[in-house]
Amino acid sequence: MNALLIAQNTFREAVRDRVLAGILIGGLVLMALTRVGSVLAMGEDLRLTVDLGLSSISLLGLLVILLVGTSLVAKEIERKTIFNLLSRPLPRPVYLIGKWAGLTGALALVALVLGTALALLVTALGSPQHIPAIAQATYLAVLELSLLTSLAVLFSALSTPVLSALYTLGMFLAGQWCDDLRRLAVKLPAGAREVLATIADVLPNLPLFNMRSLAAAGDVTGLAHLGLATGYAVLYCACALALASAAFESRDFK
Amino acid sequence: MSVLLALPAVPLVRMRMAVAWAAALAFGLAAVAVVRVATATLPARAPLAELAYYPSGQALRPASLGHAETAADLAWLRAVQYYGEHRQTDVRFVQLEHVFNVLTSLAPRFEGPYVFGAFALAQEGHDFPAAHRLMLKGIAANPRSGRLAFEFGFLNFVRPGGRDLKQAAEWFELAARLPDGPPNARRFAAFARQHAGDLAVALLLWDEVRRTSTNPLMRDMAEREMTRLQNAIRTGRGESAMRRLTTPVVILK
Repeated sequence: MNALLIAQNTFREAVRDRVLAGILIGGLVLMALTRVGSVLAMGEDLRLTVDLGLSSISLLGLLVILLVGTSLVAKEIERKTIFNLLSRPLPRPVYLIGKWAGLTGALALVALVLGTALALLVTALGSPQHIPAIAQATYLAVLELSLLTSLAVLFSALSTPVLSALYTLGMFLAGQWCDDLRRLAVKLPAGAREVLATIADVLPNLPLFNMRSLAAAGDVTGLAHLGLATGYAVLYCACALALASAAFESRDFK
Repeated sequence: MSVLLALPAVPLVRMRMAVAWAAALAFGLAAVAVVRVATATLPARAPLAELAYYPSGQALRPASLGHAETAADLAWLRAVQYYGEHRQTDVRFVQLEHVFNVLTSLAPRFEGPYVFGAFALAQEGHDFPAAHRLMLKGIAANPRSGRLAFEFGFLNFVRPGGRDLKQAAEWFELAARLPDGPPNARRFAAFARQHAGDLAVALLLWDEVRRTSTNPLMRDMAEREMTRLQNAIRTGRGESAMRRLTTPVVILK
């Protein structure tokens, strides 16, 4: 219940934030701009629109996380509003979960708006058959953003907003190379192979949430993929939030 | 206030931290298990499939904000990776021409990709017209390059489906006239003019590549061809190497 209240508050705060509104407008403008770029796409304008539209959901969501998510906890500490919360009988993990859930909700709302706009645009272009693929890709983008938000909360509980943003960005970049790391690991000698494979396991496996190349062609993915991606996102978020709780428990706000 | 916000009793904090660490470990291990299942069961993507989404080099150049050469270097690394991955897997090079077009548009004076790309396209991609286009693009961007003229002559000399000795000789002769042309380009031109399919000439050409190329993959290719030709010359069974020269396809698995 307490987590829900904090989530609602964080969601409201994020939605009222000018950053979120600006990014939402930016995303819609970017989608409109793909129509201008389609003149140069030599017949591939639909693919360009779908691909850029889905990329903008993912990248603009990341921008929100970097600008808002990484200062979620630090801002409360700086403003000393955290004292009011933690002086109540509120377990610290619940506070962190509430923060994560609130921002994830706000990001899901942004993704929903942009995904709907993209689906409408594609329908207007005469290709409504792309809508299921866009819906799936948007859902996977929300999972990816929720996972990155949990990492932002973890770093935010540990460090300053600037460093948290850098760490989160680093995890995003490294996470995109997970598949490459696994492929490289197979070619290395035994010791190095294990080390690299372990690193690939620990990093967030973000390619699992990427079906943009499928969606650009109008293809949908299987339920197994969606199920595994959902399970992975839930478990990874739980792991990151548990680590954040462990770190947050030991913090002294005196 | 500070009394309220102070840490709770130490054992309680320790216990909560231990629970949090245990939960993190359990969730983390479960997440690793899920991702391993996903990696093992979901269809693997084609290696470097994202290269299909590279915009054209002309569009990418302004987007690189003055760092087109750096972008070309990165594209070159991806191109070599793409070649290596597909050479070891399906021996299909669908995106090769696109990738080399992108990077040569980003850096038109970067000569290595023209040569490597053209030979990979012709020998292993079985797409001589694409190789021809790439080399002509390089020569148009670098009209004073003796190296490119020489390599284009060589590409014609080993053209799959039948060597074009006349073209080869013309480009060797041009290479010999250009300031940075290899010193023995004229000799190769003379060979090409005089002989049609002489194994010794082919051996010299591959040896030239082996000695001068800075690209290890190209040197490997040259060494393999040299071994094949030397065996043919030593055993006197030149017809297999001749056939090889007529249709020089290098398939490696």
